[in-house]
Amino acid sequence: MARHARVDRLARWGMTLPPTVFLLAFVAAPALIMILASFREPGEFGGLAPWNGASFEAYRFLLTDIIYAEIFARSLLVAVLTTLICLVLAYPLAWLIARSPKRRRDLLVLLVMLPFASNFLIRIYAWIMLLGPLNLLFSPWAVMIGMVYVHLPFMVLPLYVNLERHDPALLEAARDLGAGAWTRFSRITFPLSLPGIYAGAALVFIPVFGMFAVPELLGGTGDILIANLIKEEFLQNRDWPLGSALSILLTVAVLACAGLATLAARRGFKGTEAVS
Amino acid sequence: MKILLTAKDAKYAKENLLLAFLCVLCVLGGESLFAPRAHAEDVLHLYNWNNYISDETMTRFERQCGCRVKQDYYSDNEEMLAKLDAGATGYDLLVPTGNAVETLIRKNALRPLDKSKLPHLANINPAYLDAWYDPGNRYSVPYATTTTLIGYNVEKMRQLDLPTDTWALIFEPRYLAKIKGKITVLDSQRELMAAAMRYLGHSVQATDPAEWEQAKQLIIRAKPYWAAFSNSTYIKDLAIGNIWVAHGYSNDMFRAREDAKAAGRPFTIGFATPREGAVLAVDNWVLHKSGQRPDLAYKLIDFMLDGANAADVSNLIGAGNPNAAALPHIRTEVGGNPALFPPLSELGHLEMLRDFGPKLRRNLSRMWTEIKVR
Amino acid sequence: MKSRGGQFWLWAASLAVYAFLYVPLAVVVLFSFNDSELNAQWVGFTTRWYAKLAADADMLHATANSLLIAVTASATATVLGTLAGVAMQRYRLRLLPTLALTPVAMPELLLGVSLLLFFRQVLDLTLGFVSILVAHITFSIGFVAVIVRARLAGMDESIFEAARDLGATPWAAFRRITLPLILPALIAGFLMAFTLSIDDFVITFFVAGVGVTTLPLQIYSMIKVAVTPEINAVSTLLMLLTLTVIATASRFAPDVLKGKA
Repeated sequence: MARHARVDRLARWGMTLPPTVFLLAFVAAPALIMILASFREPGEFGGLAPWNGASFEAYRFLLTDIIYAEIFARSLLVAVLTTLICLVLAYPLAWLIARSPKRRRDLLVLLVMLPFASNFLIRIYAWIMLLGPLNLLFSPWAVMIGMVYVHLPFMVLPLYVNLERHDPALLEAARDLGAGAWTRFSRITFPLSLPGIYAGAALVFIPVFGMFAVPELLGGTGDILIANLIKEEFLQNRDWPLGSALSILLTVAVLACAGLATLAARRGFKGTEAVS
Repeated sequence: MKILLTAKDAKYAKENLLLAFLCVLCVLGGESLFAPRAHAEDVLHLYNWNNYISDETMTRFERQCGCRVKQDYYSDNEEMLAKLDAGATGYDLLVPTGNAVETLIRKNALRPLDKSKLPHLANINPAYLDAWYDPGNRYSVPYATTTTLIGYNVEKMRQLDLPTDTWALIFEPRYLAKIKGKITVLDSQRELMAAAMRYLGHSVQATDPAEWEQAKQLIIRAKPYWAAFSNSTYIKDLAIGNIWVAHGYSNDMFRAREDAKAAGRPFTIGFATPREGAVLAVDNWVLHKSGQRPDLAYKLIDFMLDGANAADVSNLIGAGNPNAAALPHIRTEVGGNPALFPPLSELGHLEMLRDFGPKLRRNLSRMWTEIKVR
Repeated sequence: MKSRGGQFWLWAASLAVYAFLYVPLAVVVLFSFNDSELNAQWVGFTTRWYAKLAADADMLHATANSLLIAVTASATATVLGTLAGVAMQRYRLRLLPTLALTPVAMPELLLGVSLLLFFRQVLDLTLGFVSILVAHITFSIGFVAVIVRARLAGMDESIFEAARDLGATPWAAFRRITLPLILPALIAGFLMAFTLSIDDFVITFFVAGVGVTTLPLQIYSMIKVAVTPEINAVSTLLMLLTLTVIATASRFAPDVLKGKA
């Protein structure tokens, strides 16, 4: 195998280098630049001032001000609510699809995915049309409806993939042993579906934080979320350090939530091991 | 490209065809990306405010110079500056307001003017030359002026017995209560704060944080009565009758008035400069360094300096005019309107906005966030 | 089996969710034929908005841009993503998976602003075609890599080893064994990247600059300026396009759409 080794090594580099270099340049480097930018002063006319040593002014400005904490908290709330509502709406649907005969299953999944096929601006626009006459437009309700609508398909799929793998024999056995419907759900189905729930939750929770279009098009002036602030800082105020600092704080928040969720998921796994 | 497994040739034929097709597309796509773009013939690239040159005027110019004008629009100086910051190049001509002219000059983004190419420059009223933002007019030529004021539905205001010459109309709850949900204000940090500051008796350029705080509280107190923050939809809403009072620009109010008249509405739109004072904006032609056709830019500026052409921006758009030679060509109903054409006695009440430094800007935008969210 | 009542409620809830998903889109399509500029109520049937669309130069321009960018970006992303996917499956890598999957896992907004900063501050690049292209390729690589990797995961790598032992160079083995086997995943990845590119709004919004519009950006400015049935018309057509693309994709790799993680 020695004669393979060198050629194989070459092949390995040939395969890993191009994508790695590209991504280092356009994912890692920009992230680094953004971190650096958050420690600089704003330029005289916008942008960045020339480097003059690290400045914590942007972070100080954000962290010592209740208004930003408020908006962060509200964004968190919207993300949590959206995830929960999506979960409640998606679960029965995912269950139905999982329990359907194989042929119908693919069709039902496709039917869930089709709305995803439309551009998400269109999906928002649909609600602009529907909520206008109902006088619900430009309100927090509109923002919630929009957020749920845009993200619902992402919750259905991972749930369905998980539920499909559940062994119906488990439920049969439980019923034979006298467990009621609720007990069967809460002590067997739900715990087993936790990995699917976490996967779906991740696909909803994280994107909600970055979605500025929904509050901007469907919400009132007071409904702005952290994503709208970031957009404003970059594109209107041209205060790049502040915008970068906000983005870094957002990233930290998202990573923290993801971390917490993974911890919880791991404990959930331990729980399900006990059941199965 | 022989990538078929012999036993499954037929099955992969379709995939291979698709792959080949994709390769062709890539080549075509890549080619058009890197193919040198045919350089624009006689095209002048203009970055201008919405509705600031009428189509009529533009067509006359295009015919006269034998060239084409390609316009892009902005509705806010900030928007224009932000786009330029984002690397927008190729604009020959911009029409920034005074404060934006100052910023662009300091950023070294403008071409100095070659006055020999502007024979009609003498037409400009000397009162508008040599402004604080461009001493000696080294870079800019004034084009039009607007005032930020209040537009209103005349009949409704009379009916409800409301004063129309004061900012109190949009800030005082005792008046606001009668028109709740029928008012819009500008979605602009500087403009709305300026109105509040003038109402409170402060300068729009004041930097005392206590005064700003006062203005902020005033705005937050009045906000529940306002229908929306709007930069452009108020024109249509006023003209249709959805809105009865709007904080906006004088030329937009002029347009709303004309639109309402043309549509035969049962009401008229009036507008007045509040007596506490207001913001005056002087918009100017400037040449951007990245423009490819400065020669065409000079042609347009000189064309617009001619009295008869300059009058269009007043007659058709309702803007004030810094061009003395244009005055005889301007309709009396426009030229005689003190809201559109502030007389010299008024000028003391009017202030021009000047950009703040980065620290103040940051504080101001934080204040604006609070206004939006409370 | 579940009680009759339980089944009924399950079906009712599911139908309600389907209705929730489809009714708004149906309304959009329906009102694209509405003979009223304000589009508040149904007035009458007309196809004039589609005619107006066909004559709308800005819209056609934006569509051409979107298609061009989508094709070029997805082609490049497919190449890079395939390399990444195969490499990730075959070797134990740490850096590449993190780099590839970060744009997938993080909110798009962050990639958009960081690229804006990078392009302007470091490269002093005028935002336009190239910046949009690079951005689209960047977020698509991860998707393609995941799809290709999943397909490979279900395969026996020993065939590849056998080919090497029989004297084939790595390139020949890749070309004649791996590539045909992952071809469906490749195509599904390409189509997925194509859809993502055509539909992308958030990242494009930050890196587009002036002068170059894409279809979603055009739709956005239309929504902000004036809401007319022309928006409904372009939405309907766009839906048809992405539908076709996804349907084609699902024929090549049916597992792709089942929420691979």
